[in-house]
Formats: sequence, structure tokens, C-alpha cells
Amino acid sequence: MKDKGTTLNPRSSEPDKGKTFSRREFVTSIGGVGIGAVLGGMFVSSIALPDKVFAVPASGGYLLVDTKKCAGCTSCMMACSLTHHGETNMSLSRIQITQDPWGKFPNDIQMAQCRQCPYPACVAACPTGAMHADPKTGVRTVDEDKCIGCEKCVNACPFTPSRALWNFEEKHAEKCDLCEGAKFWDEVGGPDGKRACEEVCPMGAIKFTKEIPVQSEDGYETDLRTGTVWDSLGFGGAPQSGGHLG
Amino acid sequence: MASSKGYSGKILKVDLTTGKFEEIETEKYKSWGGGHGIGSAIFFDLCTDKTIKGTDPGNVVTLMTSPLSGTLAPSVAGRTEVQGIGIQAYPIGWFTRSNFGGRFSTQLKFAGWDGIVLVGKSPKQVWLNIINGEVKLQDATDLWGLNTRETQEEIWARVEPSKKESGWINMGVSRDSGRTTQHPAVITAGPNAEKFGPMAALVHDAGNGAGQGGFGGVFASKNLKAISVVGTGGVDIADANALMAARMWSNGYAFGGHHDDPASYTGLTSFASTPGKPLSTIQDNPAGTKSRPQGCVGCIRNCRGRTDTGKGNESQCVDFFWYDHHDVKANGHVTDASPRAADAIQLAGVNAFAVEAATLWIEQLYNKGIMGKGKKIDSNLPFDRFGSGEWAEAFINSIVTQTDIGKELCKGVAQAALAWGRLEMDTKSGILPLQEWGLPHHYDARTEVEWGYGSLLGERDINEHDFNWHVYWTPTINGLFGVEPVVSAKRLSEIFAKKTAPFNDPMMINYSDEGIYSEAMAKTVAWHRHYTRFYKQSMLFCDWAWADMVNPYGPDNEGMTSVGENKFMNAVTGGDMTFEQGMEIGRRIWNLDRAVWALQGRHRDIEKFSEYCYTTGAQPGTTTYEAPYTMPVFEDNEWSYKSVAGRVLDRQRVEDWKTLFFKLEGWDVKSGWPTRETLEKLDLANVADELEKAGKLGA
Ligand code: SF4
Ligand code: SF4
Ligand code: SF4
Repeated sequence: MKDKGTTLNPRSSEPDKGKTFSRREFVTSIGGVGIGAVLGGMFVSSIALPDKVFAVPASGGYLLVDTKKCAGCTSCMMACSLTHHGETNMSLSRIQITQDPWGKFPNDIQMAQCRQCPYPACVAACPTGAMHADPKTGVRTVDEDKCIGCEKCVNACPFTPSRALWNFEEKHAEKCDLCEGAKFWDEVGGPDGKRACEEVCPMGAIKFTKEIPVQSEDGYETDLRTGTVWDSLGFGGAPQSGGHLG
Repeated sequence: MASSKGYSGKILKVDLTTGKFEEIETEKYKSWGGGHGIGSAIFFDLCTDKTIKGTDPGNVVTLMTSPLSGTLAPSVAGRTEVQGIGIQAYPIGWFTRSNFGGRFSTQLKFAGWDGIVLVGKSPKQVWLNIINGEVKLQDATDLWGLNTRETQEEIWARVEPSKKESGWINMGVSRDSGRTTQHPAVITAGPNAEKFGPMAALVHDAGNGAGQGGFGGVFASKNLKAISVVGTGGVDIADANALMAARMWSNGYAFGGHHDDPASYTGLTSFASTPGKPLSTIQDNPAGTKSRPQGCVGCIRNCRGRTDTGKGNESQCVDFFWYDHHDVKANGHVTDASPRAADAIQLAGVNAFAVEAATLWIEQLYNKGIMGKGKKIDSNLPFDRFGSGEWAEAFINSIVTQTDIGKELCKGVAQAALAWGRLEMDTKSGILPLQEWGLPHHYDARTEVEWGYGSLLGERDINEHDFNWHVYWTPTINGLFGVEPVVSAKRLSEIFAKKTAPFNDPMMINYSDEGIYSEAMAKTVAWHRHYTRFYKQSMLFCDWAWADMVNPYGPDNEGMTSVGENKFMNAVTGGDMTFEQGMEIGRRIWNLDRAVWALQGRHRDIEKFSEYCYTTGAQPGTTTYEAPYTMPVFEDNEWSYKSVAGRVLDRQRVEDWKTLFFKLEGWDVKSGWPTRETLEKLDLANVADELEKAGKLGA
């Protein structure tokens, strides 16, 4: 996706575990750039907060996706629910891939992964602290026992579809935890472990980073293709062909 | 299977005549595994008169999933098996099968169903709407004339509520009814498909089609336009951790595990091919077209594409190949005409493979001055622009509207040849390459006999590439490039021997002039029939990825087959099935199908290839892959790769080979019918009884 010039976080910084963003700092950091209507929703939900410093540690990592590489196989969605719930269930997946079979590349596929926002509206909206940043890793995640089912986080997430989702089977909110809580998987998840979606993706369309990525309204500016074997596969422009007999 | 995991537990039976729904417990049919096995068993039980035509309301049509549908088993999860009495084959419309990929089987499982059984005929035009456990037949009068895209988009609009919760579609009234971001999966027939039934496919999304058998026409004959399904449930996995581990293991055999060091193997492999590129030009788009690879649910291959023009989306292989070479001949290289031709068949829901053969033949008839304006077969198609997008679209349109040559072709290719008085003549000369049962073939019975024999003793062009990639394509491509194949003919025979339990005979890939009539070749065909009936058509491992015989990433070039299949199945179901046990279920299914064909009128006396196979070597222009045809042969005590192009079959030796095959299968050699002894050993005494009653039990 092309950056439209609305960078949310122009700095690419080393994750700084103890680092916090105050709401004031955050507003300042984006103050100088155009902010789109989608992100505007974030402020509406944050206004309801008590007006003192809202401090959340930065996430220890982020998922990067390159929609141009994605084949729409939805393996990532099945891996996410399989490792977290022991079943393959796309409705419970914390990454969502949507597509239009007749659409024009690259707009035929949207990849909806959680941004682990520096200022997470989902966390801010939660009245009980169930939606929180893991104090050790900074990963924005849900303490299911504290969730009262108000779905404020689901409505607060500024992205569509909401990356915080309602688990209608177990009746609590959930969201991408970078596989920290993937209890049906023997591998260690989280920023220092493995992520199921990244592992299964046959195209290498998902990558993990500890750097805060540059964001636009449309997503991260991610190119996982250039300089890789992808360049030789012909997706960037079909060669002149003599047909299957040629 | 020891465990219930992986299954939804129930199959939806729809009586279109009465509009009533019923649940069939999957448990009752579980010994058949899933997919085709369950479909055949249900067909056998519910279709009381198996001698009816496919358009008879008594025809029973099944759409089945497998325990692996909607799971992470690689290149399996998205396929659906379709069965019933077909309307394409000639002279008898055999009980047959087709299969399509995409998302349908996955959504059906998520909705809580292992399959759908259609019986009867609706009094009015309807579509079937499945939202989880809620099932409705809805009026389809206004959908009936729509093309496959219009139909699907219209159904999406009707199923998806306009109100979304934070971008999630709530599938019901309560917040706990389930949410999804996914469109319903719709399988549909084309516009007024009853009018071109034998040519009519079923299409899902932009490019998933079930072409063979004419099931689009069968749907329409039941007054059924489409089935839509959306589910918000999941598939319960017996051992989630083992399934993830198996998936990661299989990554080692695929491009996905080798982004930084992709194989530079010359030739074609199944599982290991790079995405969107099983052939160098599988998606035939004009130069400069940008695209992505695109695949079915859970696929590691992702063999199709979507383009920046939106043309040719999700089409691949014959969807393009029916026309690309005509495009190239007319225009010098692939142009817009190729994706336009692909879109034309997808939107109309027309069988790509039938039009490929028809177009080759029509070209010959036009060149010979037999077809064209004012000619014996009069046609106003724009033949001066043969090879253009206009011609392709006009041709497909003639079939869909039953105009021009479409007046006869709408009844099928063999049927049109009959009407034009050319069937016998043109299948004798070979300009009309209908190899068996009036059906076009992918690969040639004269050279690659396992393909021909399998199709002849079965009921359709098999379209199963398990041997084909390795015994034909790879040596042939290497020959064209003048390089020595990485896997020698001898090594290939060892790999196949290792992977073809229970036979395990290295001579099974001997395609020499002697080998093609040998007992080893009978084992090849038996293994292939049993393997595909169970693993590919019942468990639904995709033909474009499995069997994984030769794999450039595998140890000593060995693929996953005979280990991989059951690794995935057992992780999902919690069972402990061995490869051989699966092969045995495949043999059981193959015997049941054979019994149905016997009831329909099958006898060894009518199991003959078209005349040209015995008299004429393949000629350029009559099929799309005729020469050279380089295959492994064992001659003078040595393995080598050799071109067997131009070979014809010996009539008597084919008959003798059939006898060997029937003996191996435990069938009566005089009739080719299964015997009571064989059927009873397979726990199919009831099938033997029905054959006996009809006077069709093998002696
Ligand atoms: S697994 Fe990879 S290719 Fe498949 S849908 Fe997810 S991101 Fe796309
Ligand atoms: S759920 Fe939404 S608001 Fe919360 S961190 Fe993820 S993207 Fe940001
Ligand atoms: S990182 Fe883990 S939790 Fe997050 S979307 Fe991927 S699989 Fe799901």
C-alpha cells in the first residue's frame, strides 16, 4: 500500500521496554501531520478517559504485513485460532484477511492485523483493565477473567474490521497477543518467541519486527518483496509469453 | 477412523421436491472416510434406480467435505467433491465426480455440516441459503439468467446484513450468534444452465469450477441455481500442536520454507512448485500484467493469481490454455484475448476442458472448409478473427444462448459431432480427440497409459497428475532443454516403488512398448485408482499439490507421500490410520463405484478407446500435448528416459491387459464386474446383493 503521507509515528525507534507515551506526548507527536477520519475515532473514545496521564509501555514488537505478497489462503487465520483455541475457526482469528475474487490487484485483498498501537484505543476504552499492556513485553492483550463483555474495546479500535474482537463462544474480548498466550502450541510465543501466523504463511507475507514501523492510514508501508526471490517470479509484471505451447 | 475430531458430525439432506431438510449422521458413513467415499455410499443408498439419466429428479447429488476441510493440512482444506449421475459422457452418462477448490468446503464445515445431499426436483427455481444451522430454500427466479459473478454478488448482498459491528458481520440476531469478516461461499450454475447442461460447470468465486460431468446442468435440472454457505464455527482438532508441527514440517518441502534458497529444479513437481508458477506461463496474461499468487483455503501452493486488470482472476491452466495457443498463433504472443477467454468460461459457467477439445476440432473443421459461413456446418462466428477475444466470447456465447454452432454444442461435444454426422469419422482420424466415453482427455492413452487406462476403466478423464508430473512433464521438459533430469529413470523407479504401497514394484513406471501391457502397469492403475479415490477425492488432498512423489527439497528428492497424508489426518482426527489402511478404503470405494457403473450398463466389451488410439499416432494440432512424449522405460535390463511419441495401442494387447487388471482387482474377467467374493471381503455384501438382483454380479 502506498503511504498517503499521514505517518502516525515517523520515528523508527528501538523498543524501549519501560518507555511510555503520555496522551499529551502522543497528540504532540502526530500534531503536525494530517490525521484521517479513521484515526479520528481514536480521540472520540479517548476523551471519555480521566484527564490525567495515560501511560502505556510500547509493545515489544509488531506484525508487518505485505499485502502484495498475500495469496489469500487464510492459513494465518486458521493458525491463529488453532494455537489459541485448539480449533480452526476464522471467526476467532486475531488476524483477518478479506478479499474480493473479482477485485483488481492489489486492492483485492485487505490484511487486518493488530497494530499494537503506541496509544492503544482498545486499552484506553476498557473500564476494568482487562485490555492491558503486558507489563513485561508491552503486548496489548486481554486478561479474560477481568473482561465484563462490554465490547468497548471492540468499538474503540480505530481500524475496520476491529482488531479487538468478541469471542462469542467463550464470551470475552480477545486480540492479537503476538502469540504470548497461544496455549495450544508448544512453541514459545510473544516478541521473543514465534508467531503462528508468521510461521505458517507460505508466501512470507507476514514478518515480525521490534522496530516501531512507519504507519499510514492504509497500513504499514511494508515491502517484503524487493531484493528477494520474489523479484524473479514475475508478479511485478508478466513477461511476454508464447503461451503454454510456445 | 478411531476419532470423531475433524468432522462436523452431520450431513444436510435437502429434498428439493418437498422443500424438507433432514440431518444424516456422519457417523453412519464414517468408515468411508469423507468426500467421495461418503458421497458414493450415500448415493448407493438413496438413489434407488441407478439407471436413470442425470437430469431425472431421482438423481442424487452430493457435495462433500473431509475431516481435513477447514484445517491447516496443506493444500487440502478448500476442496469440495461433487458426485451424482453425470450428463456429459457418451453414450451413457456415468455416475461421476468433479471437484472444486476455494472456500466452500471450509465454510460448510464452519457452518457445522460435513456435506450436502440433494434429492428430487424443486417445483420452482430456488437457491439454497445456509447460515450455520439455519437452512432455507429461497426464490431464484430473478437469479436464473445471471452469470456466475452476478449471481454470487447478488447472493452476498442478500445474505450479509447491511449493519456491521465494527466491520464484523453478525450472522444472526444476538451478539453471540457468531461474527465473520468473510463473504458467504457460493457455488452456482451459469445463466439458464439447463439449456447447455452437458457443457455446464459449477463455479465458485472467480475461478473455482467443477467442470466435468455437467453438474451445472444437473443443478439446473433440479431447479437449483446456487448454494450459499457461511459459518462462524470451527473445526475441532484432536491434536492442535501436532497439526502445527506437521504444517511446519511440510513447509520444509515447499517454497514457503525456502524463500531464501528456492529450488532450481528443471521440471514440474507438485508440492514444491513456486506459487503461481507450476508452469512458466500458467497464468497467461499479457506482458506487464502485475499480479499476486492466489490460493484456496490453507494452500501452500497458491497456484492461481489475481491481476491488476482484474482479468483472468483465479483462472489457471486450461482456463487459459483452451485459447492461449490460438491467441499466440493469431497475435504472435499472449494478449488480452487469453484472460478474456478465461473470464468468458468462468462467467458463463462452461466446462473449460470441453471447449478446449471443441476449439481444436472447430479450427480443423474451419481450415478444411467444412465449417464457416455458408459451409456444410454453417456458422457466422467471426472466423477471420479466430484467436481474438471477440471470437472466444462469441463462441462461448453461442453455447450459452444455443445459437449458431452452439445450437448443437450446447448438448455436448460428442453429441454435436453425432448431430453433424462426424462422430465416427473424426474420432477415427483423431481430429476429434475424445479418448473414451465421448470425453476429451488431458493426457494421452497411447503414450501415458496410466491416464488412459484409468479413464477408460473409470468414468471420466481422470485428471490426476500423481504420475504425470514425473513420468511425462519432467523428463520431457528436461529433454527440451537438453539437460539430464536431476532424478534418473532408475532413481524415479525406486522412489515410486517406495511410495506405492501395497504394491511397491519399481516396474510400475515402465512405459516401454512392453511395460504398458504388463502386470506391473495393472498395479500402477490399481494403485492410482485406490490412492486417488481415498486420499485425493475423499480426504480431498488437492491434485495440484499431491501426491508428493518427487520433491527437490526432500531428502534424496523424495516427497512426503505415504508419510505426509496420514500425519495430517491423524493430527486432525486423533486416529492412527496407516497409509495402507487408507489405500484399502480407496479400493473399497473404487469397487463400490465400479458396481454402480455395472448397474448402469458397464461391461468390458464396451470398454474401448476411440478408434484413433489404435490406428493413429498423435498428430500436432489434435491435442495440446502430443510430441515429444519422453517417459521412463526399462529396456534391455536398463532404465532410461525415452520419447514414446507416435505410439499407437495394440487392440488385442489392451484386451489382455484388461484381463490382467480385472484379475488383480478380483473382478470377473469376462464382464469386468466385481464378484461377490471380492465385495464381501470389502464388507459390501449389500452391493453384491443389488448386483445379483440386476444380473450384474461377476462370476
Ligand atoms: S497465510 Fe500468508 S498468504 Fe495466506 S492469507 Fe495469511 S498472510 Fe496471506
Ligand atoms: S486492537 Fe486496535 S486499538 Fe488495540 S492495539 Fe490493536 S489495532 Fe490498536
Ligand atoms: S501473532 Fe499470533 S495472536 Fe497475533 S495474529 Fe498472529 S497468530 Fe494471531
